[in-house]
Amino acid sequence: MWLGVLACALGSTPSRVRAQSSDSVIVAGMRAYKNLEFDLAALLLRRRVAQLTAANGAVADRTQGLVYLGAAELFRGRRDSAVAVFRRLVMLDPRFRPDRLVFPPEVTGVFDGVRLRTKTVVIVVPRDTEIPLHEGAFRAWLVASSFQTVNVTLLYANGTSFRSLYFGPIGDSLELQWDGRDAAGQPVPVDRLLLRVASRAPTGELTSMLQLPLDLQISSPDTVPWPAPPADSELRPERAAGGSATRALFGGLLLSAAVVSLPVAVGSHDTPSGPRVAVASAVGVATALGYLLHRPSRPLPANIRANDAVRDTWQRRVTTLQAENARRRADVRLRVHAGDPAAIEAAGP
Amino acid sequence: MRAGWLLPLAVALTAGEVRAQRLHPFGGASLANTRLRSQGKNPFTGTGSTFLGEGALSIGRLQLTVSYLQGTLDPDGTLGASRPLVEGTVLLGVRALDWLTLETGPHARAYTLTAGTERWLFWELRARASSAFIGSAVRGYAELWRVVAADVNVPESFDHGQGGEAGMIVRLARAPLEGRIGYRIDHAVLGGGTRLETVDGVVIGIGLSGR
Repeated sequence: MWLGVLACALGSTPSRVRAQSSDSVIVAGMRAYKNLEFDLAALLLRRRVAQLTAANGAVADRTQGLVYLGAAELFRGRRDSAVAVFRRLVMLDPRFRPDRLVFPPEVTGVFDGVRLRTKTVVIVVPRDTEIPLHEGAFRAWLVASSFQTVNVTLLYANGTSFRSLYFGPIGDSLELQWDGRDAAGQPVPVDRLLLRVASRAPTGELTSMLQLPLDLQISSPDTVPWPAPPADSELRPERAAGGSATRALFGGLLLSAAVVSLPVAVGSHDTPSGPRVAVASAVGVATALGYLLHRPSRPLPANIRANDAVRDTWQRRVTTLQAENARRRADVRLRVHAGDPAAIEAAGP
Repeated sequence: MRAGWLLPLAVALTAGEVRAQRLHPFGGASLANTRLRSQGKNPFTGTGSTFLGEGALSIGRLQLTVSYLQGTLDPDGTLGASRPLVEGTVLLGVRALDWLTLETGPHARAYTLTAGTERWLFWELRARASSAFIGSAVRGYAELWRVVAADVNVPESFDHGQGGEAGMIVRLARAPLEGRIGYRIDHAVLGGGTRLETVDGVVIGIGLSGR
């Protein structure tokens, strides 16, 4: 009885009790515990915790219910029941510790004893994770109830092994990393895996097994299509057409003929030919030079330079897009959606 | 003077275009190796270097061209005296097509002889065709003219006369300067063919265009 008085003295006020749980039945059980009505508290809490467990209720409500239930059972003199309740509590949340301002050392001592003997872990992961496959890693935290040995593996949905992540001791907590690939370094080929954590006692005995389903989705951004090469309409002719050369040739011949035949055209038939031939020759030289300068198919450097600039611009765009596509192809991402953990081998009171 | 009606006609045809057009001046200087061959009672054959100055003003399709040539023709043989030569033209033209220009106006020529000055005055009608044939830098031109009226102070009566010029003009890119080489000839028949006057030569010159 003096334990109950002590519990009341250290216990919370009703308002603090309400703050610890939102479940009215749990709160009523806690109030009964404060009032030293341990039988009533045990009755209320056991029934409600069972309901919450069946309904997969909030872990906070269940842990509150279980710790008060364990303490009530302890003060009812039913130590075995208290141990079973505390073991169930540790299995539910290995991180849970009783408030030492609320519960007396007798309760916390029993709880600590149970926690040290119970080998289990909790897997803490974000509900949704997206990682770049080439450099990222999916991270999960294991929080252990006590020192133990764990074997962490990824399994296919049918239970066969996919990849082993960790095997070894764990004290308080452990960060696990998975790069999204199989043991051969290839991206995960399936869309669902199971993260299984097996806890073993120092004697090697399998004490608990927790399994977390992981829904996987690999996404890679679309690549960008290359720009079309420059159309013919965008390019200038790089070789001269024959029109200018023909014009120079025939124009020069016509002009030379006009010069030579000019005296005949004006009725003078005995004019010395020397001056005419000199001028016609000059025209002929200019014609030959003009034909060479405008000869067909000659390269047009200005147009070639302009076309090279157009092609260079296109090539630079292609190079940029090639780099962008390479970056996109490398930017494969793995989306991981974590489901609800499930205990494979549950151990309860 | 029979061609006197052509000037007012050309002016009338182009008067509408003259308005709101820019004035384009041109000036040129040439050296002409001129040769005169006069066949008749007092034959003469001689050559000499002459200076030819030209100027033109064009506005729209209308243009006014003046030219002045002066030099001395030395006889080919040892006999005979040199003949100082002076020529001048004033031509009013209209560019009928982009490549064709029609001109008309007086063409005066004078020889200074020991017996006096021989004066020739021709009224001419000219047609000049011009087009670029080596890119845009080299233009070829050919010109023919016909004397439609003449007034000469020689004993023989004037029958007919015609002439022509052909050559090329090289225009430097983006510069107003141009060079010209051409051959010109002027042929006149007097006294029913008893006297033939032929003046021809090579013209080499440069010009400055205000276009």
